[in-house]
Amino acid sequence: MNIGKFLPNFVVRLSGWLLPVSLVIVWSVAVQNSWLSSQILPAPIDIVRAAINLTVSGELAKNIAASTVRAGWGLLIGSSIGFLLGLLNGLSRTADRFLDTTVQMIRNVPHLALIPLVIIWFGIGETGKVFLVTLGVFFPIYANTYHGIKTTDPQLIEMGRVYGLSPWQLFSQIIFPGALPSILVGLRYSLGLMWLTLIVAETIATTSGIGYMAMNAREFMQTDIVVLAILIYALLGKLADTSVHLLELRILQWHPGYKRR
Amino acid sequence: METKTNLKSPSNLALKIEQVSKKFGNLTVLENLNLEIQPGTFVAIVGRSGCGKSTLLRLISGLDQPDTGGVFYDNQIHRQLNGHARVMFQEARLLPWQRVLDNVRLGLGKDSKDRALEALKHVGLESKANEWPSVLSGGQRQRVALARALVHEPRLLLLDEPLGALDALTRIEMQRLIEKIWQETGFTAILVTHDISEAVTLADRVILLDGGKIDLDVAVDLPRPRHRDHPKWIQLEEEILNRVLNTPEI
Repeated sequence: MNIGKFLPNFVVRLSGWLLPVSLVIVWSVAVQNSWLSSQILPAPIDIVRAAINLTVSGELAKNIAASTVRAGWGLLIGSSIGFLLGLLNGLSRTADRFLDTTVQMIRNVPHLALIPLVIIWFGIGETGKVFLVTLGVFFPIYANTYHGIKTTDPQLIEMGRVYGLSPWQLFSQIIFPGALPSILVGLRYSLGLMWLTLIVAETIATTSGIGYMAMNAREFMQTDIVVLAILIYALLGKLADTSVHLLELRILQWHPGYKRR
Repeated sequence: METKTNLKSPSNLALKIEQVSKKFGNLTVLENLNLEIQPGTFVAIVGRSGCGKSTLLRLISGLDQPDTGGVFYDNQIHRQLNGHARVMFQEARLLPWQRVLDNVRLGLGKDSKDRALEALKHVGLESKANEWPSVLSGGQRQRVALARALVHEPRLLLLDEPLGALDALTRIEMQRLIEKIWQETGFTAILVTHDISEAVTLADRVILLDGGKIDLDVAVDLPRPRHRDHPKWIQLEEEILNRVLNTPEI
């Protein structure tokens, strides 16, 4: 049954926010009545105040920018490598035979376990963090690109050959568009891993970024800033996910599963 | 009675199949098959499932190669896919991510829009040019596939049971459409089908394949458009059907 039929449109649209907003209200009331110590969890209003203060001082913008740049580079490098390798192994049996075992072995190493090694290799600068994000986002893109290409409908490829398409046209008009839904799923997974990796990477030896902001605040028991940092991660994660979803709606218009309702 | 008018007589293609054999592993699908098809004729190939009719069509198109023997287009040996022949498959095989018009233009240059629209008009679907294939019905999809084949002005159109998955009414509509377009353009057509009545309705010549060999080769000399209640039509259909049913199952 679809309850959307009986409710006004904007209510349906906002229904995803119903639960988070109620939780914030419950939390507010709990701190206000001292059921919850503000040392453990500060009141939402304190977090808002912290956010305003940090925004005014410019610290918040600076840290978000630092994190975004790291995330962006890591995503760019990692997804490019994943995409190209996925293409290569998906299209060429020989490459697949040579490389897939290696990729599967690398995948099974939790990339965060490499942190000690990364610090030795790259020190505590930007490179190490970007490297970790790169490793984190690489695999979902690789696996989904590979899978998307392998599962392209062979009947469509045969049809393309009958209609005289060149190998490049076969790729650009049949294989790649066929693999796109799968590649975008990979991108969504990657974005999740991107923030996860960054959170961990930024808690070790940094001088900027949201993770640094949180670690620094912990030293001074500023729980409001710690919670603010966590909330920012949540929002950035949601923002990234939403943008890929919009991208899906735009690129996959043809797909019956992605119709705008 | 003249069965059809040949507007573009030099554009159709003479086909010759000489001593063609094809094996898949130990299974012989076609054995020393010989067949000659006159330019501009409509030939139907019928037979039980597994008699090799689809394989023969794939060999003719150049999608597969025969083990021995050869396929000749206008006395030239045909070794690989080329622009002379176009295939319509049992499934429409439209690209779901391209709009109907772009599907019809597949493999054509940038200036092909008018031609593609013209082809869509031919099959009565110009109003659907900007739709996604997923919103079309099965019959409409096959009509788009037909337009996609026609826009290349093929000299040989190969039809691999393209109406097999359609409902009875849509099928009759499509048969009429194919017949009409064939009469207008005059390409050589080869239709593979398991539906004997479809073969007798459309073809100048019906070939029955059995065990990789030609079991029956009859000319259908009936005026077009053909009516299914014509005594000759009924007699022919029954004759071919009995022959199919009498052949041992593989």
